[in-house]
Amino acid sequence: MSSAAFEIHAPGIDTEKIVRDIETSVAKKQEDGFYSDARVARAERSNLAHLRTEDQFLGFYLKCLRDAVYIDISDFEIRERRRGLAPLLVALKKTIWGLLKFYTYRLWSQQNEVNGLLVTAVQGMEEQYSAKIKALEKRIEELEKK
Amino acid sequence: MKKNAHIAFVSPRFAAGATLGGAETLLRKLAEHAAASGCRVTFLATCAENHFTWENSIPPGSKKFGDLEVIYFPVDNDRNTGEFLRAQQAISTGKPVSAEEESVWMKNSVHSRAMYDHLRAEGGKYDAIIAGPYLFGITYAVSQIWPKKTLLVPCLHDEAFAYLSIMQSMFADTAGCLFNSEPEKILAQKIFGMPEAKCRVVGMGMDDFECSPTDFARRHKIDVPYLLYSGRREPLKGTPLLLDYVNAFRLRTGRDIMMVLTGSGDFHAPPELEGHIFDAGFVSEREKHDAMAGAVAFCHPSVNESFGIVLLEAWLAGTPGLVHARSEVLKYQCRKSGGGLWFKSYPEFEEELILLLDNPDLRKNMGQAGRKYVLEIYSWGNIGQRLFEALESL
Repeated sequence: MSSAAFEIHAPGIDTEKIVRDIETSVAKKQEDGFYSDARVARAERSNLAHLRTEDQFLGFYLKCLRDAVYIDISDFEIRERRRGLAPLLVALKKTIWGLLKFYTYRLWSQQNEVNGLLVTAVQGMEEQYSAKIKALEKRIEELEKK
Repeated sequence: MKKNAHIAFVSPRFAAGATLGGAETLLRKLAEHAAASGCRVTFLATCAENHFTWENSIPPGSKKFGDLEVIYFPVDNDRNTGEFLRAQQAISTGKPVSAEEESVWMKNSVHSRAMYDHLRAEGGKYDAIIAGPYLFGITYAVSQIWPKKTLLVPCLHDEAFAYLSIMQSMFADTAGCLFNSEPEKILAQKIFGMPEAKCRVVGMGMDDFECSPTDFARRHKIDVPYLLYSGRREPLKGTPLLLDYVNAFRLRTGRDIMMVLTGSGDFHAPPELEGHIFDAGFVSEREKHDAMAGAVAFCHPSVNESFGIVLLEAWLAGTPGLVHARSEVLKYQCRKSGGGLWFKSYPEFEEELILLLDNPDLRKNMGQAGRKYVLEIYSWGNIGQRLFEALESL
């Protein structure tokens, strides 16, 4: 069976071209930092295994991760689902949080520091190895020409 | 092979209802079609219905389902599930495992000695034995009994299990393979070095259906555009990825889109998605098709597919697909039909979903292209012809 028999396509719609255009647009936006976003890093967590062979992916992911590692521990709303006692329980939780903040902040700031150092280290390694691989590829190309 | 040949189909399960996995459904549909075309068909399956416990819940023996004669055999109850799971875990990491570990895994997979005894004693009467999917102990054991008349319907995926040496021998020894799609065939040729002469692409016929693009949303009071996923909800099918993507999409773009899921299995959605997910659970075929017809797109985030039945159903409902580019099969179906787009990372998903949301005409045209593709390529007339040509020549 020839594969040509499988070509259907809607009139005037070339999905291959649409995907190609989107890939180009995404590459441009990635360079501009449009997707360097902690929310993107979180969304990609279960996609990492599929993307590890993509050339540009690690660099992009590390950029997103840089925004994700520094967490603001106060950046959440204290809520209560049980409706009846909600105001009272929220006030209680806020008081407990206020009392414990002093201890938690120390742990959190240390963790932030470790996260930041790890990302910097991985990013440094990635840049170093990318440069090395590029130099080697260029060298191979030159040798092949001879 | 004569049209009145006697064919045995072998699958781990055969249920009266439609609650089986994709591979089992496919084997059943092929068997039903072969029987309706004049072949004598005997379907051999285990007495189990539950694919976690493999408890023998159906009485053993023969039963008629239309033109099909189904013979149920009990699952052996002496398998060591602990050893099986340990070996399975080791294999699934992708690290090399010893021949001994492979053998432990296969020995403790699902088997039925009663079925094997039947095939040893009466297998001579079958002109062909069609068995699948490749990952089950039953398929392997059956392929060793009558290798020269066994055809595999492997439903092969690019996963660690496919690279076991035990699989190499199974694919090498059997008479041939009936694949569901070209990329599945190419994968088998890459992994097992299968000669073209032993490979045929058959697939499964798809029946057209009636559906309404408005009924599902009206019944469930959904008044925003929604993305749909149907099938088993589990990490291997990419459900966590899809939920993370939809959540990021809502947060980043500020667009109100809902995620609708049908099917079975637990899932854990990001807390921000609460109130924006509708889990319809296990629904009737009609309900599923209505849900498909009303969706902005049908999203299939799985990378382990050999055919993609639900994507083809969504196209029959006139809805475009959005699939993971790592699934060679789903990408192939989208590329060939013009009915879907593929993404390999979140940014591409975001751009494609925005494009589909903002362009109803594009959605409609892509859905129609998909529908046309399914009706032309996966009509039972075409599939039957491919099946019988394969049986004739392998």
